[in-house]
Amino acid sequence: MAIVKEAYKALEAVVGPEYLSDDPAVCEGYRSGPGGYEAGCGYERVMTKIPGTVILPRTTEDVQKIVKVCNRYKVPYVPYSTGFYGPRSHCHVENELLVDLKRLNDFEIDEKHFYAVVGTGVIYSPLQEEAMKRGAYVVIGGGGAQASVVANLIGDGWSPLSHRIGLPHRRILGTEVVLPDGELLRLGSLAVGDDPFWGDGIGPDLRGLLRGYTGLRGCLGIVTKMAVKLLPFQPERLVPTGISPNTTLALPEKRVKWINYQMPNKEAQVKAMFEIGKAEVGGAVTKVPLFWRTIAKAECKEEFWELWGKENENTIKNFHIVRVLFIGFTSEEQMQYDEKVVDDIMKELGAIARPTKPSDESWIKNADSAGMWLMCGSYMSVDYVIETLSQATVHGESYAELKKKYTPPLMPDYGDPGWFQSFELGHQGYSEFLIYWDQDEDTTGVDHFYVDTAKMNIKNRYYTSLLGPHQPLYLTGPKYGPNYHEWLLKVKEEFDPLWVCHPPVPLAHDVFVEKAEWMKPIKDWESRKITKPQ
Amino acid sequence: MPKKEVSLEVTQLDNFVYDMSRCIKCKGCYWVEHTYMPGIKFSTRCPSNTWNDFDSYGAFGKMRIGTAVAEGKLKWTPKLLEILYADPLCGACDVGCKRNLDLEIELCLEALRVKAVKDGAGPMPAHKKVAQNIAKNHNQFGSPHENRKKWLTSDIQVAPKADVLYFVGCSASYLNPEIAHATAKILNASGTPFMLMPDEWCCGNTLFSVGMIDEARALARRNIDAVKATGAKTLVTSCAEGYRMWKVDYPKILNMATQDLGFKVMHLLELADAMVQKGALKLAKPVEARLTYHDSCSISRLADPWTPWKGERGWMGTVSPRLKRRRGTEGLYAQPRNILNAIPGVRFVEMPRTRENAFCCGAGRGTKEAFPQLASFSAKNRLEEVRAVGAEVLVSACPWCKNNFAQAAKETGNHLKVMDISEIILASLRG
Repeated sequence: MAIVKEAYKALEAVVGPEYLSDDPAVCEGYRSGPGGYEAGCGYERVMTKIPGTVILPRTTEDVQKIVKVCNRYKVPYVPYSTGFYGPRSHCHVENELLVDLKRLNDFEIDEKHFYAVVGTGVIYSPLQEEAMKRGAYVVIGGGGAQASVVANLIGDGWSPLSHRIGLPHRRILGTEVVLPDGELLRLGSLAVGDDPFWGDGIGPDLRGLLRGYTGLRGCLGIVTKMAVKLLPFQPERLVPTGISPNTTLALPEKRVKWINYQMPNKEAQVKAMFEIGKAEVGGAVTKVPLFWRTIAKAECKEEFWELWGKENENTIKNFHIVRVLFIGFTSEEQMQYDEKVVDDIMKELGAIARPTKPSDESWIKNADSAGMWLMCGSYMSVDYVIETLSQATVHGESYAELKKKYTPPLMPDYGDPGWFQSFELGHQGYSEFLIYWDQDEDTTGVDHFYVDTAKMNIKNRYYTSLLGPHQPLYLTGPKYGPNYHEWLLKVKEEFDPLWVCHPPVPLAHDVFVEKAEWMKPIKDWESRKITKPQ
Repeated sequence: MPKKEVSLEVTQLDNFVYDMSRCIKCKGCYWVEHTYMPGIKFSTRCPSNTWNDFDSYGAFGKMRIGTAVAEGKLKWTPKLLEILYADPLCGACDVGCKRNLDLEIELCLEALRVKAVKDGAGPMPAHKKVAQNIAKNHNQFGSPHENRKKWLTSDIQVAPKADVLYFVGCSASYLNPEIAHATAKILNASGTPFMLMPDEWCCGNTLFSVGMIDEARALARRNIDAVKATGAKTLVTSCAEGYRMWKVDYPKILNMATQDLGFKVMHLLELADAMVQKGALKLAKPVEARLTYHDSCSISRLADPWTPWKGERGWMGTVSPRLKRRRGTEGLYAQPRNILNAIPGVRFVEMPRTRENAFCCGAGRGTKEAFPQLASFSAKNRLEEVRAVGAEVLVSACPWCKNNFAQAAKETGNHLKVMDISEIILASLRG
């Protein structure tokens, strides 16, 4: 169903008929599922709708006008950059306008001051290539090289390379945001001029408005442009080689190199991360789940299961790799120094170095998130925490324990505790827990597990990233605030009194639990009656 | 979980519901593979979705549309047909998906077109005209059948009987006699006796590509029988589309393996490369030019041989027996580069998007007939890349590419020369 005729006409005047459509076939292409991140779950089935109309603006001014039309005619809208972030970035209510931002693809790079200004339609791999041509680099987030730079930096924005570079909000500089009522907000130094070099501007730092802890998923306006900090890299070219699917970046071995260290136990693994951080060396320091290595080894899905079937709880328990990326940022000698320091640390901890091929298949330019769907067809990361290293490294074990109750339908992974790594040279630790399943099975267990993880985090006092809009707000807010949920809703109502911007986020998961009968047995918290658009 | 019987037959859209429903919108089908991403320019490899920005024109949108069609939730409309047919089926989406997910995107798109025709909605009116031409005159263009061998000049030696059969194809027979002529001269120069089909007919590429599978199948049977009757051991084409048709799509629609055709299918590139390596073809005369090469889709990412498969899909979507996926790894990527680099005087330069990442010219598989504006857009997009690397000559190995690029160059006032690789080889042979 389309939006009201008057609104459609007004929108057509903004972008022209070529970039606006309510044709059912065009709108069907913007369906969230059935595949993709978090797709096939109850949330996707219950909460997502096909858009009533799709619009493709070209400029910030277009976006402002569109948003003002939506406010005038009370048309709900959702900003959409690549659509990769599953159901939560798609329409949630009937007759909604989907604002596809891919044509906001302007790109400028300031070589002297090492920053790039990107539109919302720009993805990571072109940015990384342009940066590397100039001796710089960015972190391509775990979301993948195909993720919108802006959307990823608002939401996540980290990878193993965050060991060196740190958290994403430090890299967000001057930014343009169209607020839910159409007003233009300019953040950082853009607030006082046209130079976007500074992330900090006059007055309070409003980056939290667009980002929060891990982003508000488009419910507080639309970012149209962002200046992103670039970091100095090394000067030699990383050469792409091979034919798809076996492609890789050939590394200049004296300047860039991965080494895997086989650690004797978990304690040594964590200690190694601490010590490498303290020594302030390395470009990435991470532990990865064993099944990622199996994905990389397998020629196809069927071979994956053949290889994975040979693993068991013991092999998982005794898999303690620390994967270190060395980068000679300033010179070959600097990289030799880094490697010697790490060698000393590893010798003391009883580790064995396992040299790897002089290539990079994932993380530097091609963050391969799409491979996560190979095994089962359905995937999401149920949680990620940015904590201390000691906290982050035990977080996954709690998840693995809880997961047993929900396997199947979750993939049998023999208690794998997920992925953890060092952030900001060991000042912080990161943990991410990933789950996989076949969406053709009964997915009730997946839906329950997701909410049960919030309860587990509350019980164990893990400060997780997936608060607020990602879980029932009335479950997590009182426990983490104690009035976090109330403030979040006040902010929403202040900036979007009509609730036209991606409703019913941030209450979407609450609405899902209300609507889905099969969620009733797990709901044991109080929530106010939800009266906002559903 | 119960197992489901499936096969790779494009006559049943149901075979591909799993593939369509597992698309994750990573857009590996749209972007140049990230390892090879050349920068902010030339970052896409999908002509359709670069031409029209709505998601529905990308494979990720079409997978959702396809799922809805399979479930009977979406009716055939002119817009839906446009989305489906404004697409050169160039295979960029297929190899892109198989980088990570191994979904059979190309087959999904083909099966959707077959269904459109079976339901009485497809193909487009321009395609029906082509089908009429083929039925009446055995060629795509409606030219008189008796003119098919007009390209043949008296200085070319054609053997009455030989192991090698040169299948000329409609384009080289009627529109591009220079390609047929050069190919024949190269075969003569390399000492490869060749024959022609006694009565060559269209390969049926457009028929199959637009979903007219019954008509395409009838032509396939007729043509294979005709080749077998000649006793040829090798069939050589100079047309990329024809090569794919003989090597991949005939076996596909006849439910047989490429290796069971009874003869080998080769493109001129393979034969010429082997002959140059052996010393049978001497590329001695300098060709002083800065050249770049365009990988035609049907001899690159679409060229892996076909093997029929049927079996069961079960737990976690795994299939048995084991399926060897066609990922575009067996394309003719090295041969043209070997040849061009062996020609004295040639300054060969690569474009940013090469091999499996190449940006399709946009002409093939029914696109130029029904959506000439898309074909023109796509070719012009590629010409910008040629200009960016400063090439004077754009070389391809398919008459469809050559003609489309030449037209686009003319329309834009570009002084670029567009040549088929057979012409370049011939230029280097002449003393």
